Amino acid sequence: MSGHTRTGIDSPLVRSISATLSALPAYQSALADAPPAYTEVGIRHSYYTEDSLDASAVTFGSRSRYDIDVTQLWIEAPVGGSWSVALDVQNDAMSGASPWFVGVGLDGEPGVVMSGASIKDNRVEVGVTTRYFWADGNAGLAISHSDEDDYRALSFAFDASWNSDDNARTWTASASRSNDTVTPVKERIPVFIDEESLQTQSLYFGVSQILSRTQIVRIGLSYTMSEGYLTDPYKFADHRPEDHDRWTLSSGYRQFYSALDGALQVDYRLYSDSWGTDSHTLEVGWHQNLGRHVLAPYLRYYTQSEADFFSPIADREADYYADDYRLSSYGALTAGLRWTVQLGDWQIETQAERYQSDGEWGLFSGEEAPALVDFWRATVGLTWRFD
Amino acid sequence: MTGIKIMRLPVLFFASLLSLLHPATAPADGAITKAPDFRLPAIANADGTIGLDSYLGKVTYLDFWASWCGPCRLSLPALDALYKELRSEGLEVVAVSVDVVDEDSLDFLQRYSVSYPVAIDTTGDIARSYAVGGMPSGYLIDRTGVIRAVHVGFKRGDEEKLRQEIMELLEE
Amino acid sequence: MKPVVVKLIVVCGLNLLTGCAGPEPVAPWERGYLADPAMQWQRSAREAKFAGHVYTSKEASSGGSGAAGGGCGCN
Repeated sequence: MSGHTRTGIDSPLVRSISATLSALPAYQSALADAPPAYTEVGIRHSYYTEDSLDASAVTFGSRSRYDIDVTQLWIEAPVGGSWSVALDVQNDAMSGASPWFVGVGLDGEPGVVMSGASIKDNRVEVGVTTRYFWADGNAGLAISHSDEDDYRALSFAFDASWNSDDNARTWTASASRSNDTVTPVKERIPVFIDEESLQTQSLYFGVSQILSRTQIVRIGLSYTMSEGYLTDPYKFADHRPEDHDRWTLSSGYRQFYSALDGALQVDYRLYSDSWGTDSHTLEVGWHQNLGRHVLAPYLRYYTQSEADFFSPIADREADYYADDYRLSSYGALTAGLRWTVQLGDWQIETQAERYQSDGEWGLFSGEEAPALVDFWRATVGLTWRFD
Repeated sequence: MTGIKIMRLPVLFFASLLSLLHPATAPADGAITKAPDFRLPAIANADGTIGLDSYLGKVTYLDFWASWCGPCRLSLPALDALYKELRSEGLEVVAVSVDVVDEDSLDFLQRYSVSYPVAIDTTGDIARSYAVGGMPSGYLIDRTGVIRAVHVGFKRGDEEKLRQEIMELLEE
Repeated sequence: MKPVVVKLIVVCGLNLLTGCAGPEPVAPWERGYLADPAMQWQRSAREAKFAGHVYTSKEASSGGSGAAGGGCGCN
C-alpha cells in the first residue's frame, strides 16, 4: 500500500466509518497492548565457561577462570482481561578463580596473580512483574530480589509504553532503582571492608517507529547513576570513585524480507560514562523462519576505551586506581547461533555463543590488560504454552 | 477498552488511564453507516465465494482477523461460542482473514476451529473499505445492513458486552 | 566525547530515523510482517536478560535496553 492513508478513501460511506475509527487502537505487533492470550511456563539452562588464561599471562595461581551454571524458571499468565503477571526465578552456580591483582611477572611484563583456591558461590534471583494493558499501551511494575553469599540487591522498575494515534509510533519510558549491599566473604583473600552499600537509579526514554510494512526502527536514551561502594572488594589494587554516571544512546532496526521469510536485525549502542569510558556496540543478526524452525545467527562487535584511573599495573598511590581488565581498552567479537523449534504448544530453544576479546581489536588506544576474557556460553530451553 | 467507541479522547497516556473509568460513549446521532458489500473466496465452512448481500435481513457480525494477531486467539473461540448459542435466534457470523497467504489462516483455524463461514481478503481491499482500525475488528450489522457497533481489539470479558449488543439487535 | 563518536551518533541516528524515504502509513491489516517474531527487539525476554547480565558483568558498559536489573554475579 503506497501513499494510501486509512482515511484517504473517497466514498462518504467509508469516510463515516473512518471518522468513527480514526482514533481507535490497532495492534502494532501481536504482542503489544493485549495481555498474552495464553499462559507460558518455561525452563532454560545455560552454561558459561571462561577460557583458561595463557601461561604467559599468569604470574601466580590457577590459570582456570570462571564457570557458571544458570537455571531460569518462569511462568507468565494473563489475569482477567487487562493484566498479566510473571514470576521469574534464576539460580547461578558459580565456581572458579578470578584475577586478584596484576603485578610484574618474571619476564618483566604485567602478569596476573589469581585469587587462589576455587571460589564457590550461588546466586538466587526472584522477580515478579505485573503488567496492565489498555487499548493504546501498557505499563509494568517489576520487583526483584537477588541474593548471594556476598551480595544482595533489591530492585524496582516501572515502565510504560503508549502508541500514537495512527499506531505507527510507540513511546517507551522506564525508571528503575536498585539498592545493593556488599558483604565480602573473607576466607579467600584479604578483604578490607565488612559491609558497604550501593544505590543505582536509571531512566530510559525511547521511541519506535514503523517505517513501512516491513521496516521498524527505534532509538532510545538512558541515564544511570550509581552512588556508593563501586570498588571490587576482592581485588588487591582497586579503588574506584563513589559516583558513576552512565549515558547510552541506543538504536535498533528490523527489516523483514518476505521473499526470504526472514529478517535483518541491526542494533547499535553508544555508551559514555563519568569514569572516562566510551564504548560502541554493534550487533547484526538474521532471523530465518523455516516452517516450525527458526535459525538466527548473529555477530556482535564491542569496543571500549579505558577508564581514567585504569593502568595495567595499578598505582596504589593515586586517588583512584584499578588494574581490572574490564576497565581497560579493548575490542571484543561475539558470534552466536540460536535455533528454535515449535512443536504444537511446546517450543525448544538452543543457543551457543563464542566471545573473544583482544586489546588489538579495539578502536581506542591504551595499554592492554593481561587478563582479557574469552568465553563460551550455551543454552537449552523448553517453553510450554497453554490456553 | 475495546467496546463500542464512536468518540474518543485524544490518545494520551493519562487520558487513556482516565478513560478506563468511563463507560463507552454512545454512537453519535444520525451516524448511519451502511456496511460495504463484498465478495471474497471462502476458505472454511462455505463453498465458492462469500458475499455480504446474502446476509441481508439477518443480524450479522463481520469479523476481520489474522493468524498473526495475538488477541484473535481469544476472539475466534469466543465468537464461535456466541455463534453456536445464538444462531437459532438469527445471528450470523462471517469472518474475513486478512492474511496474505491462505495456509497461515488454515493453520490457525486448525488450532482454533470455528463453525461459521470464513473468507480471505489477501489484498486488504475489503479491510480498507471498512477502514479497519485494529486487529481484530468486528462490525455488528443490523437486519437492514447498517453498521450499529464496531469492536476493535479483543480481550477476555468482551464477549459479554458483545452478547448484550447482539441480543438487543436480535430483539429489534 | 570524541569527534568520531559524535559523527557516529549523527550518521546512525539520522539514517535509522529517516530510512531511505519517510515513513509510509501502514494499515492495521498490513502488519503481518511487523508482527512476525523476527521483528521483535529481543530474541526472547529471558535470553535478553541473561545475555545482558553476561555482557554487563564482563564489560565496562551497561544499559540501553530498558530498565536496570539487580544483582551482581560479577567476578
